[in-house]
Amino acid sequence: MLPAQAPSVYTGAANVIAVLILLAEFGMFRQALLRDQVRLYAGQSVLIAVLAVLVAAVRHLPELYVLAAVTVALKAVAIPLVLRRLLRGTAPGHPLDVSHDIAGSGGLGLASTVLIGIAVAAFGFFSATVLPVSGGGAPVTALSVSLSVVLVAFVLMIHRRDVASQAIGLFSLENGISLAALVVAASLPLILEVALLFDLLLAVVVFGLLIRLHHGRAETLSTTDLTDLRG
Amino acid sequence: MNAVVIVLLVLPLAAGVAAIWLPSGAAGAVTAATGVASFGLVLALIPAVSHRDTGVLGFVRVDALSVVFLLATSFLYACVAVYSIGYLRTAGRHGHGDQRYARHFWAGLNVFAWSMLMAPAMSNLALLWIAIEVTTIISALLVALEGTDGAAEAAWKYVLLASAGLAIALLGTIFLYYAGSHVLGQTYNLAFGPLLGAAAKLPHTVVRLAFVLAVLGYGTKVGLFPVHTWLPDAHSEAPTPVSALLSGSLLAVSFYAILRFYQIAAAALGSGFPRDVLLVFGVASLLLAALYLLDQQDYKRLLAYSSVEHMGILAIGVSFGAPVALAGVLLHVLAHAAAKGNAFMGAGVLVRKFGTKQMLSVTGGLDLLPWSGPLFLAAILALSAMPPFGIFRSEFEIVTGGLAASHDTAAVILVVLVTVAFLGLSVAANRMLLTPRPEPDAVRGEPSVWMVVPVVAGLVALVVLGLHPPGELVGLLDRAVTALRGPA
Amino acid sequence: MVTALLPIPVIQVLQVLTIIGAGPGVSGVIARVEARLQGRRGPRVLQPYYDLAKLFRKEALAPAGASWVFLAAPVAAFTCYLTVPLLIPVLTTFPLPLGYMGDILGGGFILSLAGFLVAVAALETGSPYAQLGASRAKTFAAITEPVVLFVVFTVALLTATDLPYALAATVRSSAGQIIRPAHVLAAAALFMVILYETGRIPVETHSGTNEFGMIEEARSFEHSGPYFALLKWGSAAKQLILYTILLNVFVAPWGLAATRQPWAVVLAMAALPAKACVLGGVVAVIDNSFAKLRLFKITEFAAAAFLLAVLGVFTLYLGGG
Repeated sequence: MLPAQAPSVYTGAANVIAVLILLAEFGMFRQALLRDQVRLYAGQSVLIAVLAVLVAAVRHLPELYVLAAVTVALKAVAIPLVLRRLLRGTAPGHPLDVSHDIAGSGGLGLASTVLIGIAVAAFGFFSATVLPVSGGGAPVTALSVSLSVVLVAFVLMIHRRDVASQAIGLFSLENGISLAALVVAASLPLILEVALLFDLLLAVVVFGLLIRLHHGRAETLSTTDLTDLRG
Repeated sequence: MNAVVIVLLVLPLAAGVAAIWLPSGAAGAVTAATGVASFGLVLALIPAVSHRDTGVLGFVRVDALSVVFLLATSFLYACVAVYSIGYLRTAGRHGHGDQRYARHFWAGLNVFAWSMLMAPAMSNLALLWIAIEVTTIISALLVALEGTDGAAEAAWKYVLLASAGLAIALLGTIFLYYAGSHVLGQTYNLAFGPLLGAAAKLPHTVVRLAFVLAVLGYGTKVGLFPVHTWLPDAHSEAPTPVSALLSGSLLAVSFYAILRFYQIAAAALGSGFPRDVLLVFGVASLLLAALYLLDQQDYKRLLAYSSVEHMGILAIGVSFGAPVALAGVLLHVLAHAAAKGNAFMGAGVLVRKFGTKQMLSVTGGLDLLPWSGPLFLAAILALSAMPPFGIFRSEFEIVTGGLAASHDTAAVILVVLVTVAFLGLSVAANRMLLTPRPEPDAVRGEPSVWMVVPVVAGLVALVVLGLHPPGELVGLLDRAVTALRGPA
Repeated sequence: MVTALLPIPVIQVLQVLTIIGAGPGVSGVIARVEARLQGRRGPRVLQPYYDLAKLFRKEALAPAGASWVFLAAPVAAFTCYLTVPLLIPVLTTFPLPLGYMGDILGGGFILSLAGFLVAVAALETGSPYAQLGASRAKTFAAITEPVVLFVVFTVALLTATDLPYALAATVRSSAGQIIRPAHVLAAAALFMVILYETGRIPVETHSGTNEFGMIEEARSFEHSGPYFALLKWGSAAKQLILYTILLNVFVAPWGLAATRQPWAVVLAMAALPAKACVLGGVVAVIDNSFAKLRLFKITEFAAAAFLLAVLGVFTLYLGGG
């Protein structure tokens, strides 16, 4: 068998950023504190922006600079701020401390979560290689990684039984899609991208409101009691 | 005609903003006026789009297919707006009739209707996605409005599942963008018209993936099996007028998004693959819903499963592909909006009258409610596809189309499952309406006249659709069917 | 000017001597940096050498009932640590003849043989601390082993061989080879394994007193005198061997002798400890920045390393990364 060909520096760097985004997703998967989850989400968003800048520079797509700036402003600054503010009443040390709900919300043991995570990530990788995609944006491996991010985010939302982690899972799922968009739709008109981002901000506010409503009623962030509605 | 479209897309939003400041009574009047005006505006659009599509500023594009869905939405908007006046007036007895609730309700209702009117009018697929995401967000807040434990749970499940589904749909949209960029160049705006024009040259694998992702993603909002699980919860826990809009309009608008993807996929891949996908989802949804209909305790959940059933029928109808089946599907969208709206509005009257959603506690509805009882019965019969109502005609057309396109097995399955669903619905209706009331002390009478008038309008619409659809409407449907069938 | 070239056997002996000689020094530097970071003056850099010298002068004791294995193990383990430097690129960019004796897996086997021998000796003693340490070390070794295997897979996929020299040459060949995700991930996973293998935070407190959480450190509890010295020296050598693999194969395969000229070899002999000290500084910073994990959380640490290694193989095998 032949040695694997070395990718160009651009491809390698973009892929490393993509893999870091995936690792951030895995971090959220295991993270026990809401504060750390929000931080990881912000970090993941910054990585998306860095990748956008890289693609913009190499592929000469100046619009992506703006997108990167908006991404940082919204996802790395505004959304974490909104989340923290909406969840202030649920911080550790507060009379309504719910950190235990988040730390203990994983339904599975360590080995199972890691193996499931690896399995779905592998499926993501595998499914993207079947696609005949050759993008004008970020390199194609990043697409495989993005599908893995999406799938791991889904597992996160299923596995964690607290509303805060589920919300973070959904937002990071959107990050995975942003990553995919950088590969296959890097030149999507800026106005649409920005509209998508503001839509996300709106969603974050509503999620925050609903989390507060849930917390106000149940005095917990856990979803294990959400079993009234069946059939 | 552009002015009509602009007014249609601005008026509900303006009403929603105004409702934040207005007192409840005035907000109700404004909402009702806006609803009726919207319906009138959409009616005015019908003649225009039967000649050519209408576009505004590149972002808005209205063709015959859009108008069908606009019609369903605006009709229900008008009915529900009027109904809500009565709904809120009678709410005081149940403890949340305060001003704050009313303000949120009216503002939310208008904005929700606005977002559903936006979706079919969007010219490109990204904006369509955004509009549908906005419908999710607004309706999740409306579901949570009651503030009960059940409402909080339902809203959370709804917003999480629907948003996750829409994320999948977004992925589908992005892949479609990628497919299109091979033909239309790197930078284009996903506008629907050019994309459809270029469809024949799109790469097959990517379009196939995009279509499946879109069906799964938007299917979450349509309520297709296996991603329907939020639907009964949200429909049963939301305030009843919102349930009516959710079921009659929102599901249909999401189905509209699937239809747009279907058009492109059918043009790119030939109709075989997209039809198979829809057939599988449709039959699975219909089967599940028909079985669940047999064993329900909560009549709002019963109606919710009936929605899953009808969405399954829509998917199957599209999968038949014959022109008469497609015409049936579009007629079904309209008739289902009217019938399901009526059923939920009737259910709302029952909730007000009996103070419960449990079927076992509701008896003698026909005796106690001189108007709403028979109207609810008629709505249930309409949902079960009894003549002379619109759904009978539309399902008849769908089955005819299925047989014409030699999908005999699927057509037979459809008929059998619809019969099972009929069984479930009629047993429930029989128990609630026709069983004599054990306690004789109950007072006979309607909670509010506002809650009867729109249901009568819905019944008239159902009968008109069933007996003799107006020629203009038939022309509109024909034109939409031609668009759906594609150039081939 | 043509200087005389060093004979190959001499270079091979120098490889071993470099590792053995510099090993305790690197440990001393790390201890010093760590102390400085904590605001202490810290021990002299040469302190480990003085410790060894003192231990060699002490009398050797063995617990009653321990068999010959107890005394043979430190010697055998030290022999293993003398063998491994022959297999890896310590000083030269070009493969030396004995380098073909074993690939990365071969080196790994010899290192784990050494660990196994020490563990067996610990079991001989009957001391609960030593036995606890031995059984823990073996348990966690079983978890880190797959990580090492996946790192080896990555190397194999990158170079089509699993000779460390080949990977070092590949890494030197272009910047694209360094930045590619498979390489970055494998190096990161290996680094985490090294943190575990050398008993560093977040797995273990290195300069610990007796405590229940000890793993590696507890195994040599019952040894004394020259045998204990061999064990300590061996673990310092093992640490430098692992650093060498990370540095000269994965992260920084520069500063090695490309020819057999004496000055080049001497330069390489100086460069390796220097690089190892920089790496040691990083390790010391990590030591000071994190808390020790609870014992049952170590699996989490190993799982993270495993994840990195597996993703490395994925990107390579499925994604072309």
